[in-house]
Formats: sequence, C-alpha cells, structure tokens
Amino acid sequence: MYIPKVAVLFGFGINCDHETAAVFEMVGGNSTRVHLNSFISGADDLANYDILAVPGGFSFGDHLGSGRLMGNRMRFSLRDELTKFIQADKPIIGICNGFQVLVKTGLLPGPDGNEPDFIQRASLTLNDSGRYEDRWVTLEFNQDSNCIWTKGMTRIDCPVRHGEGKYVMPDRESLTQLSANNQITVRYIDPNSNDDVDNNQVLPFPISPNGSMMNIAGICDKTGLVFGLMPHPEAIYAQWLHPDFTRGTAPQTESEIDWEGQGLQIFRNAIEYTISKNA
Amino acid sequence: MQITRVEATPKSGEGLRDVRGDVVRRRLQADYGITFSEVRSIVGFLISSDIDSSSISERADDLFADPIIEHSTLNQTFLESKDIFESTPDAVISVGFKPGVTDNPGKAALDGFRTIFPDASIDSDISTYITYAFYGVNGQATPEFIASKLYNNLIERAVVSDSEMCQQNNWPMIEYPEKPPQEFKQPAHIDLEIGDNELIDISETGLLALNLEEMKAIQSHYRDEAIQNSRRGVGIVENKPTDVELECLAQTWSEHCKHKIFASKIHHKDLETGEDSVVDSIFKTHIMKPTHDMQKEVDWLLSVFHDNSGVIAWDDEWSVCMKAETHNSPSALDPYGGAMTGIVGVNRDILGTGLGARPIANTDVFCFGPPDWQGEIPENLFHPSRVLRGVHSGVRVGGNESGIPTINGAIIFDERYLGKPLVYCGTVGLMPRKLPDGRESHIKTPSAGDVVYMVGGRVGYDGIHGATFSSLELTEESPSSAVQIGDPITQKKMIDMILEARDIGLITCITDNGAGGLSSSIGEMAEYTNGCKIDLAKVPLKQPGLSPWEILVSESQERMTVAVKPEDVDAFENLASLHEVEATAVAEFTSTGMFHVQYDDETVAYLPIEFLHDGVPQLELESEWNPPQHELFEAPINADHNNILLDLLARPNIASKETWVRQYDHEVIAQTAVKPFVGIERDGPGDAGVIAPIHGNPRGLVVSCGISPRYSDIDAGAMAAAAIDEAVRNAVCVGVDVNKIAGLDNFCWPDPIQSEKTPDGKFKLAQLVRANRELERICRAYRLPCVSGKDSMKNDYGKGADKISIPPTLLFSLFGDHPDVRNTATSDFKNPGDRIYLVGESMDELGASEVSFMLKERGQAKGIGGKVPSLDNPEKLFKSYHSLSSAINSGLVKTAHDCSEGGLGVALAEMCIGGRIGAKIDIDGTGKGTLWSRLWGESLGRIVIAVSPENETDFLKQMAGSTTTYLGTIENTQSLSITDGFDEIISADVSQMVQSWQSTLDMTGGEI
Repeated sequence: MYIPKVAVLFGFGINCDHETAAVFEMVGGNSTRVHLNSFISGADDLANYDILAVPGGFSFGDHLGSGRLMGNRMRFSLRDELTKFIQADKPIIGICNGFQVLVKTGLLPGPDGNEPDFIQRASLTLNDSGRYEDRWVTLEFNQDSNCIWTKGMTRIDCPVRHGEGKYVMPDRESLTQLSANNQITVRYIDPNSNDDVDNNQVLPFPISPNGSMMNIAGICDKTGLVFGLMPHPEAIYAQWLHPDFTRGTAPQTESEIDWEGQGLQIFRNAIEYTISKNA
Repeated sequence: MQITRVEATPKSGEGLRDVRGDVVRRRLQADYGITFSEVRSIVGFLISSDIDSSSISERADDLFADPIIEHSTLNQTFLESKDIFESTPDAVISVGFKPGVTDNPGKAALDGFRTIFPDASIDSDISTYITYAFYGVNGQATPEFIASKLYNNLIERAVVSDSEMCQQNNWPMIEYPEKPPQEFKQPAHIDLEIGDNELIDISETGLLALNLEEMKAIQSHYRDEAIQNSRRGVGIVENKPTDVELECLAQTWSEHCKHKIFASKIHHKDLETGEDSVVDSIFKTHIMKPTHDMQKEVDWLLSVFHDNSGVIAWDDEWSVCMKAETHNSPSALDPYGGAMTGIVGVNRDILGTGLGARPIANTDVFCFGPPDWQGEIPENLFHPSRVLRGVHSGVRVGGNESGIPTINGAIIFDERYLGKPLVYCGTVGLMPRKLPDGRESHIKTPSAGDVVYMVGGRVGYDGIHGATFSSLELTEESPSSAVQIGDPITQKKMIDMILEARDIGLITCITDNGAGGLSSSIGEMAEYTNGCKIDLAKVPLKQPGLSPWEILVSESQERMTVAVKPEDVDAFENLASLHEVEATAVAEFTSTGMFHVQYDDETVAYLPIEFLHDGVPQLELESEWNPPQHELFEAPINADHNNILLDLLARPNIASKETWVRQYDHEVIAQTAVKPFVGIERDGPGDAGVIAPIHGNPRGLVVSCGISPRYSDIDAGAMAAAAIDEAVRNAVCVGVDVNKIAGLDNFCWPDPIQSEKTPDGKFKLAQLVRANRELERICRAYRLPCVSGKDSMKNDYGKGADKISIPPTLLFSLFGDHPDVRNTATSDFKNPGDRIYLVGESMDELGASEVSFMLKERGQAKGIGGKVPSLDNPEKLFKSYHSLSSAINSGLVKTAHDCSEGGLGVALAEMCIGGRIGAKIDIDGTGKGTLWSRLWGESLGRIVIAVSPENETDFLKQMAGSTTTYLGTIENTQSLSITDGFDEIISADVSQMVQSWQSTLDMTGGEI
C-alpha cells in the first residue's frame, strides 16, 4: 500500500511540530519535520511530499499579528511551489498558528477558482477576552462541507490554545458567501445544545473562546483540500489526554486502536484520501 | 539613514473591537478602580533604514498593518486623523523602549522588513511603541498617574498629553531611541597593594560583591612570583589584575555562582538544647552525602549535582532531567522582563545538560506581597498586583512562545515578599539515553582542540553584573543594566538547531550562558580539558564599543556555549545558517591549565583554572538557634465554621488561581494527562502534573512541588519538612511510583551573615541549618534523592529599620515515574455513593496555620503560635504513601487530594467544587486533637480519597498497616455537610464555595 509522505513544517517558533508529525505516523503516514528554509533554499522540494502540515506555535512571536511574518515568507518565497502543490490536489492543513499562517498567505479561504492568488481575505485577531487561554471547547463539523479532512466527523472535544483566534471578515457578504459555499467546516458549539443553532449569534465566552464571527473555528478552501482550524485536534490523539478521562467519561472512538482519541480521524482522513488517490 | 514612522490602529465596525485598548481599560479598573468609557490603541513603528518612506508606504499593509482589521498611516500620528479618531480624547499616553532595551516586536518587524526589502542596508533597525487614547475618565486619576501604571521607567519611556494638550492637537510623539555610543576602554590595571579599607572600597564601588578575605586572596595571588613569571610570558601586567580578571573572579566567586554560604564552615549553637557543633558545608553534609548514599542503592541516578540539571534514567531508551532556578532581584525591578528571563534561562539549563536535553515541561512558583495590599510600597518597587501581572505575563510569554507546557506551580502570598518577590522557574527535560553515534547523552565529551562557539543572541550592555547584583540586597540605586527582556523566539530557533546538532553528533560539550556570561560558561567547561583560550574581539555585539570586561561578563540572554570538533565546524555552521541562528567561534579548549583571554592579540586575562574555580576561601560563619516566641493561637469560642470555610476559600493563599494558570499553555506537545485544573467544569485544583511525553505510549512522568514558607515563623526546619512532604503527597495523589522519585531543593533566604546591617544573621543562619537537617532526615526516610538545587541568599530590601526580609522559603520540586497515565487520580469528587476516607492522622498542630493567620489579622486571635506541623515518623508515612500510590496506579482509586493550607475542611470543599457535588462527612475519629485541629489544622501526611463501593474492600486491604479513617460518602446533593460525631459543624452550598474560591484572584476587571 502507498505510504503518504507528510511534510511537517517547523522553524521560527513553530512548536507543535513533534506531535503533529507523530499523529500522521499513527495513522499510516511517513512524516518528516522540514525547516521552512529547506524548502526556500531548495535543499528540499515540497513536490516530494503528498501532504503539507503547518503546525501550531508562535512563529516570530506573533509580532505584527499572528502568522503574518511566516505567511509573508511563504507568500514571497514559496509561491510557485505552493501553487503547484495545490494544483496537484494535495491536502494542506494549518492548525492554530498554522491556520493563522494560511489565512495571512491568502490560501484560506482562498479565491473562487482553483489557482491560489495569495490575497488575504480574512483575518484571525485578538480574542475578545484579550487573553491567551488554554481551555477545552466542543466543535461541530459541517456535514455539507466538501473538506476531505473532516469527512464523517460530527462533534469532538478539543483544546484551544491561542490569544488570536477570532475569525473576522471585512463584511457580512463575504461571510454569507463563505457559509453558502460550505467552507465553514467547523464551529464552536455549546456541548449541551442540539444542532439547531443560529450562527449569526456569537456564542458567549467561553463556549466560543474568542468571539469569532459566526462561531467559526475552522474553514476550508473551495476545493476542500486546504483546511485550517484554531483548536488542536492533534492534542486529543489519545483518550488519556481528555480532561474527563479520570472521571471515566472521556469520549470513546470506534477505532482499532483502543486508546484512540477523537482528534486522530482528521489526520487519517487525509492519509486515506492520499492512498486512494494513489491507488 | 532616515526614520519612517508607521502607525496601525484597529478598524471599527460590526464585530470588531480594539482589544488592546480594552485590556488596559479593564486592568486599570480592576487594580485601581479608575473607569473609562473607552480606551483606544495605536501601534507605532519607527523604521531607521536607507529604504525611503514612499517605498515603505506602498508595502505598509503587507507588513505593519493587517488590511482586514487595521488602518495604517505614514509619517504622522493617527490622532490627527479626524475620520478615525473622531472625538478628542481626555488623555493620550505613548510608551516606547529606552535605547538598547530588547524590543521583540521591533526585531520581528525588522525580520519581516528584510523579507520585503532584501536589499535594505545592514544597519537598518526598527523600534516600536504603543499609544493609548483615553475617553470618559471617571475619577481623580491624572494622566501622569495612569502613565505610571503603564510603563516601567527602568526600561521604557512615556510621553503624555493631558486633556488641554489634546484639545490643542498637541500629541505625544515617541522618537527613535538612538543608542548612546559606547566608549571602548582598554583593560585597566588595578593596584591591589593597598589597605584593607581600600580593598573593600574597590569591591563595593565596582559592584564586585567580594569580601575582604576574598580580595586578599586575590591580592596574594598576584604576589606569587611563579604567577608573575608566567604572566610575563604572555605579555600581561605581571603583579596586578586587569579589570577583566577582577570582574571574572568576582563573577566566578559570587555567592550566586559559588554558593559560599552553603559551602561555609558553620559554628552552630542551639540555645534550646545546648548543642555546640561545627557543620563543614551544609551542602556536602545534608544534601550531597544523602544523595550519594542513595546513588549506591539504585541504578537510575545517572548524573547528580555537577551538570546544569540532575539526570535520571526513565526507561531503557530515555532519561529525564529537571532544574529549578530563581529570578528574584530582576523580577523586583522589572517583573515582566525579569520573570521572562527566569523561565527562558532555566530552559537553557536543560538544553545545556549532558549533550543537550529537550525542555518538555515548565513549572512556576511565585511568592508575592498580598494582591490587595493597602500599605506602603518600598521605593522603586511595585504594588504586588502589578508584580503579579508582570511576572505572570513574562513567564506566560516565555513559556508559551517556547512551546513548553507549564504543567505545575503555585502562587503564595505574604507581606514580607513586598521587598522581594520570589520567582521560581523550573523545567523538565527529556533526552535519548544514547545518541545515534553511541555516546551516552548525559556525559559531556570535550577534548583540547575543540572549537568553542557562542550560539544564539549577541552580547550587549544589558545584563552586566546580574550575578554579583543578585548577591547584594536591593536598594533604591540598584542598576538598570541588570534588567533584561528575554527573546523567546531567538531562543526557540536556537533550541531547534542545537537538538538537531546533538542528534547528528556534532556537540562534544554544551552549557548555557547565564550568570557571569562567557566568563562562567567557558570557564566552567574549561575545567574538563584544563584550559581554554578565548578571543573577545570575535564575540558578536549588539552595539559596538563594549570593553573587554563587559563582553566577558555580560549576561545577555539567549546564548549557549557549544564545543565542536574541528572537523565538524562546517556542518555545525551550515546547520546554524539553515535555522538563521548566529554561531560564532570565539574560543578553543586547551590543556594549558590556564583561562586565557585575549582581545585580538593582546592577552587581557590569564588566570590559572585552579585558582579561578577553587581559589575562593571558605567562609566561616556563626549560627545560633533561639526559638522565636509567638502569642499562642487560641481558637475563638462559638465560631461559625461555615463562615470560616467560605473565608478561608477566599484567602489568596488558598483561592483559585485559574485566571492566571489558564493563560499558560499547559498542553503543547500533546502529553498532559493530568492538567493544572481538573473536574467536571475543569476548574478544580490539580495536585500534580502528569505527562506522557512519548507519543502513543502511556508511560508517564509526574511533576509536583511543595512550599510552606510561613512555618518558618515558628521553625524553618518544620518549613522544610512540610515542603518536602507536600511535594511527595501531591505526587502520591496522582499515583507516582514512589520507588523512583527525585527532588530539587531551591532555597530562598534572607541574608544569614551576621553584620551591622544584619544583626539577626546568626538566627537566620540557624534557620538554614535546621532546614537542611530536616531536609536530610525526610529525604532519607522517603528515599528521595536531591539531584539538583539552587540557593538565593540575599532576599532582603533596604537597610536598618525599614529592612524587609523574606520568610526563609524552600521550594521543593519533585519528578518521578508513573507506570501508566491511564491510572491516575484527580481531586474532584466523582460519583454519588463513592466512599470517602482520610489517609493519615490529624494532630494538635495549628501553629502558623492559614486559619491562625486569618484570625490574627482580624483580631480574633492573639497570635499564630503553637505546635507547627511536623513529621515524627516519616518512615511509617512513607509506607502508607507506597500503599496509596499503588492503589492509584493500579486503577483502584480515582479520587485523591492532599490536605494543605486550610486542612481537611478546605480539602473537602475543593473536592466538592471540582465535582460540583455534595458530600456527607463525619470528622470524628480522624485524630486525637481538638475539633479545630482536625477541621482546619494542617498536619502533614494526610490525603483524602474516594473509592467506589465495589473497590472499597480491595482498597482497605491495600492500606493495611496505614492509618485510614472512614469519613463519609459523596452525595447526590449540592451541599457539603460536616459533623463531628453528632455535632453539626458545617453545611455549605457548593455554589457558594465556588463563588468564594474563585472571586479573590480573578482580577480580570469583569465581563468581556
């Protein structure tokens, strides 16, 4: 069987590279941590990989806005490589700081067509609370999204760990369009509510940890291949990482791995997509 | 070079806010009661470059402003722009950095600037500032008062426009901070053939912190003819030291580096028992010896005391290490920068252990003055609430940006920490036991001829005299150069690079640059090969003009010293360049026996390695124990225990610290199984951190701590015992394997040397002796080796009658093995019907308890005196810990919480809070003491557990031989009910307890 090759970016303050590499390996990928400069200098080539992950962290200390400086390096120095990667239908994920990077490069939410234009259309800004916080939230996935990363996922619990996670767009029309395209892949939700939520109402803190417009936690591009989210699904790869584990009430999964946590499926989806593409 | 000014300010509109402004508004409201209708913010950049303003203008929205959410403007201030700042503010305050102070946003901006303008001149630089516009001021606060709360004049400057100036469009303008030129000074020669008083003068005016005997040891070194001859051979002044040498000796011999008090010969008298004896080095006698004895009995103590942190074998593949440090004096002067350099500094200790370990977890323990303090604040120091905010945010930024989770800690309050806050930062590291090339990673392998690199940051004027300064008491004149701001991203890049270099086998020796800078780091490593030769002219500088001695001793942050074989030099430099990390060869190891320092070709220091490291004379000190007298604590009659419970829960020392702790990333690396806050609402107290650092493997590590400074008021020995027991208790509560635990002792003491300025020095030294004797006794009983430690011995503020000395404080940190993180316990009560037990026994020990302090402060009790908690039979207790820990890590018990401040009453309340559930408790039979001592007393060795009815029999079997008392059951109610036999004592609503526990330290300034 084909073993998908995953490039996990690191350098300049990215700091979730080890666990992000590990979770892809758990679901059958072959991960390599690659320093961004290796791609820029040509020492390594993005085209050698099937999947690109931009992990969480504090690239450049979040100064001048989270993800901005890392995003610029990619926007100005890896433009052609990224365009080719996307046009080869290869999946990209950005988690937390990685999501911020993808938004600032303009890869998310991206243009209408298939060719990335590297124009920023949205932003992730300071949480309404003004505080960086590490707390657990509940996420609800959009069943109508074509995102290959979230196929079959419904609800999961997951930690957020950010100070700048509030998703904003410059006008109401852009948001409406994003929603109509089913690019709003994942939202914060009150774990005690049913699915019937008016997402024009921003949920109260801390159900929404940041005050995101339309309670957005993550979005994908038009193709469903590029996906970014603020919460950390890799941080619930095992049930023992769930805060309810000692209470005996941590959510179980149907996986063959008896200790598997709810977050691992996201990474498995991309691996399975790549395997079937290469079958 | 021209200066271009760019400003950015948040756009307004549906769903958009000025969060930065709002944070300041809420903080001023929470801390000073000043309210505003609105605060707006502007971020400013001053770009000094050959790139002209119009080119910058075209790209401003690519870099300085986010076009989706911010406006930008060029070469003017936004305040002039009426379509963005429609109404006139009541006050405007602009805050920027002083020249030479680390400006991290500025550094990042410069990096981004070079991405866009790769041809910008090499000396381009960017400085940042922030401006706040205040509207609708309510209260008497002047703009100057508000400004004083927003900046620290040691490192920052502020420009203020009051209401009148605002009306006249007279806006504050921060200008580009030009660094004043530094004057390069040739090494001076210092004549030591002078009188004793003049020797002392040289030490005091030069901030050398050397005493007369030490100055005389240096004097006689230069009188030695053999020395003079050897000096002649290298062309350095023969019979007197250069300033480089004297500074180098002062750093190396400082209390901070040499631990002279712990190494001293102490004449100890005990007026209580009549003892009259001599202790030859507290460290060797009470800390090192017991650990070495234990090292003979186990195979997992790999490296103790001599490296940057202590290393233990965890399993066949991995070893773990831990180190804790303090950063007290810098945190007093600049809480933010001081604390940040504290945490990133201890991270480097881990990186500098063996051939390099990866930092995987942080711990932070702070001691502050009361957050609601109403009294005087010592000159030049800050209100405790501001110290708390600053220290917390420095540690938060340092830890979070480095990608290291903060998994354990504590915050303690006492008014004596007003003069000096204590900021303990700890880090756990992980390394493979063997490197791919077969070397054991905990052993350094340098040889003569290895090239020595300085890696990471550059050397600047900041951080000169940190080590010697921390060996002196704080005064109003304490120097600002001892204060620095850390740069976690520069350090993170360096950590990534160094761990890669380690794995490909490029490193033969590594240590960090902390106190004493290069003089200490290279000096210490040179002991391995017996010599080194340094060229200071090669050291990259933040600004030109530093003199040789300044380069040698500067403690500028984010630097490691790394030795590499000559054949690996290219590979090492290429790796550094990939990571954009500066690495410069500045020295080589030799075997000449000399610490040889040059500036270009001129020898500026030439000291025998042996004299440098072993030349300091042993101190001889006097100690005398005479137990302090306190009014006895007598419990008031007819007290309302319900109210006492709620009031205790609200005491800063007990109240929830969740607001603060939640701002630390405690889950990065995806390994944290037991988090700092636990329970159904994830807001109950966690006892210890538990991590599973190898992904996919549930094998765990436990990290806990203990600290109990107020017991020192009665007996510092009891204080030390309590700290150790608390750390062990906390670890037992999560099911640590008690056969594999290791400890760190971090002592913070007031100056214990008898002198005119310290008339009670003998007593303070006796406290130190007693603390260490207890440390040895308890550690031996618990088979708990101390593998690393540190002491900070001058924690006093001021002189004479105004002097404030901290209570003698031991932080005891513990790390230990856990067989499987799936079998841990947490403090929250879980299921109704679960059976609750007390493991351990309550004694009549209310002395120095939290309840005694509370009632004394309120005038309801005369004093805090009485028997302080002590450990009479630690061997028996240890057996009981062993049984309980096994019951937990075999999965029998899922709920456990230790009794500490506030005793059993508070522990039970916290367990109800964590589970949002009630319990029915009878404390009859929990000990022979009074109701007060059983309910509120803080006797050591006690843990409350809950066990499901089906596991109860097995649990009791497991606990055979330990004192285990049935307390009651978890109830499906929202009320904690406590009786003493038939007497009803407490009936408290869970929601009320939550409210009391969570309000005190919230300090967020209300709703978002």
